[in-house]
Amino acid sequence: MIKRLSITLFVLTTWYGFGQDKVTEAFAGTRVINNHSNETLPKNTLEFIIGHKFGDIAGATGGVDNFFGFDNIADVRFAFEYGIIDNLDIGIGRSKGVGARTQMLDGYAKYSILQQKTSGMPISLTFVSSFAFSYVKQSHDSTALASYPTFWNRMIFTNQLLVTRKFGNRFTWQVNFGYNHRNYVKYDQINGVYFVGTSGRLRFTKNIALLAEYNYTFNRLPTENHQDPLSFGIEITTGGHIFALHFSNAKSLNENLFIPETTSNWGKGQWRFGFTFNRRFKL
Amino acid sequence: MSNLRTYLFASISLVGVVLLFAFQSAKPGRIEPYKQERLELDPDVSKWSVEDVLIQLGDQKPQHYIEKLDADSVRMGEELVYYGRLKDHSNKRVSKYFVCTDCHNQVLETDDPSDESPARVLDFSKKNKIPFLPGSTFYGMYNKRHWYNGDYAKKYGDLVKNTRDTLYNAIQLCATQCSQGREMDFWEIRCVMHYYKNIQLKVSDLKFSSEEYAQFSNLVTAGSDKAIGMIKGKYNEINDAHFGNSEIPKIPGYEPNVENGEYIYKAGCMHCHAPGRNITNFDLDMDLLSFKFLYAKKDKYNQFSISHITRYGTYAVSGRKQYMPQYTYENMSNEQMLDLMKFIETKAAE
Repeated sequence: MIKRLSITLFVLTTWYGFGQDKVTEAFAGTRVINNHSNETLPKNTLEFIIGHKFGDIAGATGGVDNFFGFDNIADVRFAFEYGIIDNLDIGIGRSKGVGARTQMLDGYAKYSILQQKTSGMPISLTFVSSFAFSYVKQSHDSTALASYPTFWNRMIFTNQLLVTRKFGNRFTWQVNFGYNHRNYVKYDQINGVYFVGTSGRLRFTKNIALLAEYNYTFNRLPTENHQDPLSFGIEITTGGHIFALHFSNAKSLNENLFIPETTSNWGKGQWRFGFTFNRRFKL
Repeated sequence: MSNLRTYLFASISLVGVVLLFAFQSAKPGRIEPYKQERLELDPDVSKWSVEDVLIQLGDQKPQHYIEKLDADSVRMGEELVYYGRLKDHSNKRVSKYFVCTDCHNQVLETDDPSDESPARVLDFSKKNKIPFLPGSTFYGMYNKRHWYNGDYAKKYGDLVKNTRDTLYNAIQLCATQCSQGREMDFWEIRCVMHYYKNIQLKVSDLKFSSEEYAQFSNLVTAGSDKAIGMIKGKYNEINDAHFGNSEIPKIPGYEPNVENGEYIYKAGCMHCHAPGRNITNFDLDMDLLSFKFLYAKKDKYNQFSISHITRYGTYAVSGRKQYMPQYTYENMSNEQMLDLMKFIETKAAE
């Protein structure tokens, strides 16, 4: 009888305990648009992500000649992410890359340090460490970026902290700050850049939300041709897939590239349409 | 020479004696008929299990009859039910999508096991804070005699044929089809059945009037088989199942009960769909967005419509095997469906 009672109590406390304390669904997936979100995958869950960005909608290379960028591909990335435990994700991806950095492999680990709660803990705090690696064939031109004298020259690292708060049921705001380090850069660039970014999500309905994200980089060299990545998007969840349709000046889909390497300018029509969609599988 | 003969004679005699006793009348093993011995039971009949009563009175034993409960098997069965595997991880998960407790309670769901109507179950569940789930409770499952009855043939076809009178096969079908998992090993099902036996119906769970109970107790003490019919009238050996359709029920004059609807939403829908449960890919919460969404979709013919998803569930398809079982009329009445929809409508309007 005592055992039965204890089992019943276990079921009831488990049942009532769920969803009452932790603030969930700050973002729909592990990314806002291309920025990492504070969300981690549940244990033993695999997520498959496909992302695509097209060419410039307007400007010199856009317009009707390229059907507003649809004739060109800026970047394509597919990735697998996996929840090792409820608070810890790892992921690997492959992307086309942009500019001189092509044929990119990337990977990350994300750990949820703090989780926002209905009382007591006002924010979520998440740490993300990622890398990208170019396996493009070495260039014989020693002045080219792709000359990569050593293997480690091919690496880029980004470490960042995400501070996230969900306000009510509709609005989530996130601030991210961190350090990006490219092991090998052009003569007019700096290896390590500090950055701070912000992301937001505004839900109109249960399954449709507006997304925005921006990253600002510090300590740039004045000679560097650089723009801060700014993106807007619409998120549609279908109860199995998450679709994010967006417009962005950044060409790349991975933070190791779009934070330090964005050069396209919104003001010159160098912005593009892109999309990502996610699908989760239980393993 | 004579000594040699003596030794030879003694040795042969000894071997002969040994051989004589070495002979046995062994035969291939056969099942001995069950000896109807009285078990050592408490004099108070109310403390007996239903099965104890039936066996004592000479009723036919079920196919899944377990004579002696094994505590270790009960423990392992319980772990399989709650976690889908043993806690020491020495076996593989039965299913990566579900565990038994996602759809089945482990406690009595009604104050009268002869009446498992949705209204009675909901009333009892509210009083005792028990989840309101689409699957039958495992409490008393051991005392049933037929499984996957009624319309389950529409869903699973011929697969239900060998489950209808065999608990072993019913568990296997649930593992492989309902939870989209692997076939369970014999020892695993055996452990689950020991667990079932451990949570079988007791006489004290049944609803007798004081006169009925006095009569029943006397009949049992006297060993009268009339008590068999009496006790079998106090619980159901069969759970029937009738599937509904996606139409919103129309019950003239019925005034929906919002409180009931709230309980069904919290203890039924959110049992699996609450954020963080990770049982489904579609989270529901007690927020305006969830209620507005469900209310806006109520007339659609798709899985976002409450009446549609509740009555049809979803089917397991290749590549997306996780699915939702439906509530039959025996698990949720049309009145309760209207209660649920009224609650959603009320919250959506806030």
